[in-house]
Amino acid sequence: MRRAGLRTRVSAAFAVGALALSACVTLVSYEQTRSTLFRERERTAVRSAYFDASIVAAGLASGNRNVADVLGSLDIGADRYVLVSRAGRWYARSADTDAHAAVPAALQEMANGGQAGAQRIRRDGVPALVTAVPLTEDAVFYELVTLRELERTLQVLALVLAAVAIMVAAGGAAVGWYVTRHALRPLAAVAGAARGIAGGDLDTRLDPDTEPDLAQLTTSFNHMADELDRRLQRDRRFAADVSHELRSPLQTLAAAVSVVDRRRDDLDYRAAAAVTLIVDEIARFQELVGDLLELARSDQPVHREPTDIAELLARVARAHRLTDGVVETLPDDVPPVWKVDARRVEQALSNLVENAVRYGGGPVAVRVGRCFLEVDDAGPGVPAGIRTSIFDRFVRGPAANDRGAGDGTGLGLAIVAEHAVAHGGSVTVNDRPGGGARFRIDLPEYLP
Amino acid sequence: MTAVLLIEDDDRIRLSLVLALEDEGYAAHAVATAEEGLIEQRRVGADTVLIDLMLPGMDGFECIRQLRRTDDVPIVVISARDDTHDIVAALEAGADDYLIKPVAVKELAARLRALRRRSRTADAPALRILTFGDLELRPEAGEVRLHGAEVPVTRTEFQLLCELDDHAGQVLSREQLLQRVWGYDIGDERLVDVHVGRLRHKIEDTPGKPRHLVTVRGLGYKLQP
Repeated sequence: MRRAGLRTRVSAAFAVGALALSACVTLVSYEQTRSTLFRERERTAVRSAYFDASIVAAGLASGNRNVADVLGSLDIGADRYVLVSRAGRWYARSADTDAHAAVPAALQEMANGGQAGAQRIRRDGVPALVTAVPLTEDAVFYELVTLRELERTLQVLALVLAAVAIMVAAGGAAVGWYVTRHALRPLAAVAGAARGIAGGDLDTRLDPDTEPDLAQLTTSFNHMADELDRRLQRDRRFAADVSHELRSPLQTLAAAVSVVDRRRDDLDYRAAAAVTLIVDEIARFQELVGDLLELARSDQPVHREPTDIAELLARVARAHRLTDGVVETLPDDVPPVWKVDARRVEQALSNLVENAVRYGGGPVAVRVGRCFLEVDDAGPGVPAGIRTSIFDRFVRGPAANDRGAGDGTGLGLAIVAEHAVAHGGSVTVNDRPGGGARFRIDLPEYLP
Repeated sequence: MTAVLLIEDDDRIRLSLVLALEDEGYAAHAVATAEEGLIEQRRVGADTVLIDLMLPGMDGFECIRQLRRTDDVPIVVISARDDTHDIVAALEAGADDYLIKPVAVKELAARLRALRRRSRTADAPALRILTFGDLELRPEAGEVRLHGAEVPVTRTEFQLLCELDDHAGQVLSREQLLQRVWGYDIGDERLVDVHVGRLRHKIEDTPGKPRHLVTVRGLGYKLQP
């Protein structure tokens, strides 16, 4: 199972924390409110019971023997019941005759003993308070107050508090989400910088001052980038040094042999043949040095810039003196400006054209389409078995071998492959419909 | 006979190139350092200077800059360095052409001939004055004036201006300019771009927003009033 993301986990922790905290606060405040309200209500109920009891006592003392009449004279609301127990008989105000059943026995006993008291009970599932006030030796006044409204108030309060707790938890989660976004923002910058470096922008650095808490990360990231840059520069310098070291003697050879070559007609045929060999080999050696350097540098990141692809094609066509009509016009659905390393794409295309010239009898079509370049020839084609290996270094196809080992450097197609890969693409070869080979460079990320 | 000054620190290359150049009919002087090269050029005033970039002491870039302060002689770089930065830096310092070692002697001779052809066109008497707003061009005198004051340009820059002037208001492609100014059938189009950039610094009030020498995207350059 995939682990939940950091942000999700942090947000969940925030939510749980907020919920626990708000639940505690809610419970405590609910309990406080509840007991306070009950106490208040009880005090009121007891006070009114005493007041009512005094009226009933006065009524009874005035000689009115009808207890029900005395009770009926009381001004009470719907949620209060009054009872009088006198000499074992119960008197009530109305038809609510079984109200006395709700009076707990313990309270009755206490009241009969001459002591006033109050007790909380539940009647028909509704909380109520019974207050007992002894009137005479054999008469006790009971007042029963239902606490339904109070309970309803408390229910509403509980509901509101629960809703608040849930909202606080949700708020906690939102804060967690928001806070982590801010906390992770510097990491997004690091990721962006890493992408930039991978994409070839080696000057990308992070500013260590923007986020002091992440200074260590930015410092080590910048150190890594510096180190990478230094290493690449060293490699590049090495390539430049090698090029210089190899090219200098080649220059001497080329200049010196040209002096002899001008006098070839004066030489005997052996010497003339030897000079021809030297001249040819110097040219090939020169080509080899160029290709090796190109390969050595090909792992460097590409420098993408907006490139007019039709112009690039035209340049290649000119350089190889291709006849008109070989380069096909750009289809309408292909954007004219590509974001590629112009030099390297040109070199790759140039190598494919060169390859077609050498081993395929010359290109019959050079084509551009959406994210690809193609070079067709009408030569012998490339056997299926070597269509991958032909792009390896120093590997030659049968067509090249037929022409002898002295032709070409064996690096041209390897360079094409390297340039294509550096662009995030690839190079492939297939049969051309109608015979010959079709080389294709795919450049998937060619648009700006 | 055309005099060529070669500044090259590698003894063997120097010797072989002098042999080959003399064989091609040039009068070749060769020195091993940039400092000697500056003195030698002041003394003999060669028609063309060939220079390596990696030299002991003063490097080739600095030598080109110093030569350019007083001299509009065509300068051709012959270097083993083929990095774009080096090529552009050398051209921006004032070089007219850039060849990568090893250079075939035939190719070198062709370059020298092309430069020679161009230099000669500037020797005719002053006749025409062409004006492009505040820019004034005197093709035969080899003079360029901006706001009436003469602007020092190299021979290649001047040739480039003349080509553009011949087709004033028309667009010339990099390929056409390369062919007409440098004599290349196929060549490095950076030559044109860097020379245009150098010219803009001399003849435009704001080189970043050129008024006279404008780029026509995807096509090339044109000169306009």
